[in-house]
Amino acid sequence: MTISIQPIAILIPAKNEVNTVGKVIAAVKTCLIDVTVVVIDDASQDDTIKIAQSAGAKVLSLPFSLGAWGAIQTGLRYALKQGFNTAITMDADGQHEANSIPILLKRIASQPCDVVIGAYPQRGSWLRQVAWAFFRRLSGIPLTDLTSGLRAYNRTAMILLAAPTATLLDYQDMGVLMLLHKAGLRIQEIPILMYPRTSGHSRIFSSWWAVSRYMLHTAILCLAKIKSSKKPKCHTK
Amino acid sequence: MSYQITSSILGLLLAGIILWLIRRDHLHSHHALWWLLVALIVMVLGIFPRLIDFLAYQLGVNYPPTLLFILGMGMILIKVISIDLHQSDLERKIRRLAQKLAILTDDYGQDNNPDD
Repeated sequence: MTISIQPIAILIPAKNEVNTVGKVIAAVKTCLIDVTVVVIDDASQDDTIKIAQSAGAKVLSLPFSLGAWGAIQTGLRYALKQGFNTAITMDADGQHEANSIPILLKRIASQPCDVVIGAYPQRGSWLRQVAWAFFRRLSGIPLTDLTSGLRAYNRTAMILLAAPTATLLDYQDMGVLMLLHKAGLRIQEIPILMYPRTSGHSRIFSSWWAVSRYMLHTAILCLAKIKSSKKPKCHTK
Repeated sequence: MSYQITSSILGLLLAGIILWLIRRDHLHSHHALWWLLVALIVMVLGIFPRLIDFLAYQLGVNYPPTLLFILGMGMILIKVISIDLHQSDLERKIRRLAQKLAILTDDYGQDNNPDD
């Protein structure tokens, strides 16, 4: 029952985040002592690798860009191979507060759950809110923040998400949640604060064209993975 | 008379190109069987175009060319779907390979990395 959550890996996928990645790593390192920070470089063309290395992170460098989820999965596979029991994913753009990580860790250590999501559902435009409401209905997943990149996974969840079945996903959002949901893993949400992005913009909500494409893809994904309506195993807090 | 010569030439030419491509190893043997079948059908139908009339009559199709088009399009659809399936499989393998490469280079290149 009581499996240690140690050792812990912090996985940070980064693509051309030279301005923020250093600060993010430093913040994590001051906030938590006994963690390994792993930056997965998604084929950046700037000095992201150098900055991350000099900030004291382990850097995994992808030979070509696999997208945000491809990078995270690289980190999960690495963490499994290295024997980590918990993996935290966070964005490299400074959106997530390092202070939120201990909150997530406390929850995953104290409660019987496999995934803890740092949720900040207040963020985002009305468009995002509409999209979320739509996908909640479509997928039957009763979580409030469907795209949060700040998550804690235990070893069971890591094994599931590192598998080839999860490789063709593109984002750490609906597709990943549905996989976890379908496998019967216990997902909890915990409210946290998020900063507005200090640089760059959402990869998903960048333009009307991108939004339409994303909506369509995710809708198809939801319909393809739809589950026979058993009682949901998710718990929302 | 004349249309049979035209269709024979077209059929034999197409079959010849396919067979040549298979022999030159431009086609993976996995695909070769499918294309050998296509070459055979094209050749037979080219030399005996009346076959399609006969077949259509047997199947109750009023206008024989529709049968030809429907069969042809059906086969093309099946082929295209199988290509997309194969493509998705390759995409998955390539992504996993890239991930593995990133993980292994880290193990391997630790000592000679000046920034580490």
